[in-house]
Amino acid sequence: MWTDLLYAFDAVATLPNFLAMAAGIWAGVIIGAIPGMTGTMAVTLALPFTFYMPPVTSILLLVALYKGSTYGGSISAILIKTPGTASAACTVLDGYPLAQQGKGGKALNMALVSSCIGDFISNISLFFLALPLALFALRVGPPEYFMLMAFSLTIVASISGKSLLLGIVSGCLGLLLATVGEDMYGSFRFAVSEDMKNGLGVVPVLIGLFALPELIRLVVFRPEDTSIAMKLGDNRLTLSEFRHSLKSILRGSVIGVILGAIPGIGPSTAAFFSYSEARRTSKTPEKFGEGELEGIAAAESANNGCCGATMIPLLALGIPGDVITGVMLGAFMIHGMTPGPMLFQNNLGDVYALFIGILFSSVFLFFAGKMTAGAFSKISRIPQHLLLPCILILCVFGIYSIGSSSFDVAVLLVMGVVGFGMMLLNIPAAPFLIAFIIGPMFEDNMRRSLAISRGDLGVFFQSWISWGFFLLTVLFVALTIRREWQKWRTKSRTTA
Amino acid sequence: MMPNRDFITGLIVSAFFALTLFVLIPVYVKVPSFIPGFAPPPNMWPRVIAVTGLFMGLVALILSIPAMRQQSSDHITGLGAYLHRHRVMIVRFAILSVGFIAFVYALPVLGFLVSSTLLLGFLFLMTGNYSNRVWVLVLTALFPFLLYTIFAQIAHTRFPAGKLFSAAGLTSLF
Repeated sequence: MWTDLLYAFDAVATLPNFLAMAAGIWAGVIIGAIPGMTGTMAVTLALPFTFYMPPVTSILLLVALYKGSTYGGSISAILIKTPGTASAACTVLDGYPLAQQGKGGKALNMALVSSCIGDFISNISLFFLALPLALFALRVGPPEYFMLMAFSLTIVASISGKSLLLGIVSGCLGLLLATVGEDMYGSFRFAVSEDMKNGLGVVPVLIGLFALPELIRLVVFRPEDTSIAMKLGDNRLTLSEFRHSLKSILRGSVIGVILGAIPGIGPSTAAFFSYSEARRTSKTPEKFGEGELEGIAAAESANNGCCGATMIPLLALGIPGDVITGVMLGAFMIHGMTPGPMLFQNNLGDVYALFIGILFSSVFLFFAGKMTAGAFSKISRIPQHLLLPCILILCVFGIYSIGSSSFDVAVLLVMGVVGFGMMLLNIPAAPFLIAFIIGPMFEDNMRRSLAISRGDLGVFFQSWISWGFFLLTVLFVALTIRREWQKWRTKSRTTA
Repeated sequence: MMPNRDFITGLIVSAFFALTLFVLIPVYVKVPSFIPGFAPPPNMWPRVIAVTGLFMGLVALILSIPAMRQQSSDHITGLGAYLHRHRVMIVRFAILSVGFIAFVYALPVLGFLVSSTLLLGFLFLMTGNYSNRVWVLVLTALFPFLLYTIFAQIAHTRFPAGKLFSAAGLTSLF
């Protein structure tokens, strides 16, 4: 094995490979930072260029693009409250308040450090745990997915802000909106127009909900300090701040690895899951959502922790977990390699070279992130009345470029108005978003499980994985009810 | 009693979910005559959500009443006076909404570049801050063009040129 590894190291340590990784990371960070341009788009656009590259170089380029775009999403999320990718939606919750406090640079640094650590741990797990994690992922069927999604939905309680009631209302709105379009059996729901039959895209909804209400607020209320830009302020991440968040970074990385290895879950769910856990275990949970560095650390380590792990089912079993790994499967096949158990027998040298190259990419991510964060943080100096209209136009172009659909642009604008309405009514936006992302997976797996079991609810309790998530859900709900009860009693006593 | 924000939130949420449950689901969620196996019908999940949302909206409504009574004893104002006080903001919001609708309808007619340039100019006007006029003019003229070029060249996005320009034979400009 060690001889193979040495040969693989020798094969990776070439200038073309390093250039491909550096270019991929840089391009990925920039693309991820542009609202509406996603990692999937970056990887798909780069695929034709890989035809003329050696197999390892081409896969390294695609992986680097994926990782760079996942981190890049956090830049716009922190600085302009516009998550570049869905997986960065959770980063907005604490990132933007920090930027408003003049700590945008600090938030970006925390996002970068936690992304790199999450990414590195994910790569290590790809190296050592590919097979056991892939076998675990195979045991996760529709009932287990359903239970996992049910547990994920309890996150709504953590991100509801001051009112749990309005958080649940927001979650219900998100779940309802997620049912628009064609369901798993081909029935159309709420398809008022022809365009709505395909459902509503995640990116227009999330950007509309987060980015546009700020612009509408500026236009409607016209606050007097709009010509003043946000201060850049304190940009250094101190060692004590890093130490304080280390536990959340490590936990987020593990959550990212486990959820990333399960096909179909994705980094958005992992980020919200990790954020919720960080808030639940924090001594100061009330600071989450107001500008807590630990919140950024938890979310970013988890979403980047997914990057390497999504390669696990692809390499070990030949199963692409999401669209990006689907494109990578195509790249493997273009170069005459078939991912799956046979890959480790027929192309062991290439697999090791890939593993080592992916490990190197974490280092590239750190340097590329450091350089771009400095450049992007200057955005904070632009006055709000100039910046916000330009952001809307950027979003409009980005959204249109995803699906070449004017309907998506209309969804973006309508969701902006909805988000503004929610802001006025004190309804938090974050539960809406997580429910919108998780809702379809929750419903599909519930209906699929019931169809498999011919309506028997016992199907949800047939494996230890289902039981584990069920018990966690019950525990979390019980703790939330207890917390709310205590809050209500304290309030009653104070009033009396 | 003067309705407070929590009451209005509860009222709007309850009304929305009631509308969904009793009107939108029966009209817009078609249940097929035959469902294979024991799969739940397509309207099951939206109904569960709507009932939960309606319940939560009603709870929010009920919980807001004590605070509203207290507030009413302190301030004597009517809904009309409240709307009158905020009429400028309501008008701005209405104009902005009309601008958004006009933009969506202008896309196929004027094309993406012209429509987005007009939208950007309109948004700068609506912010009400004219302290950086040169920057506003430069950005309005160049920013959409720059984005248009980047997305068309790098992402190969085919933006609509607009019926007006197609009719005039000017599509080659885009």
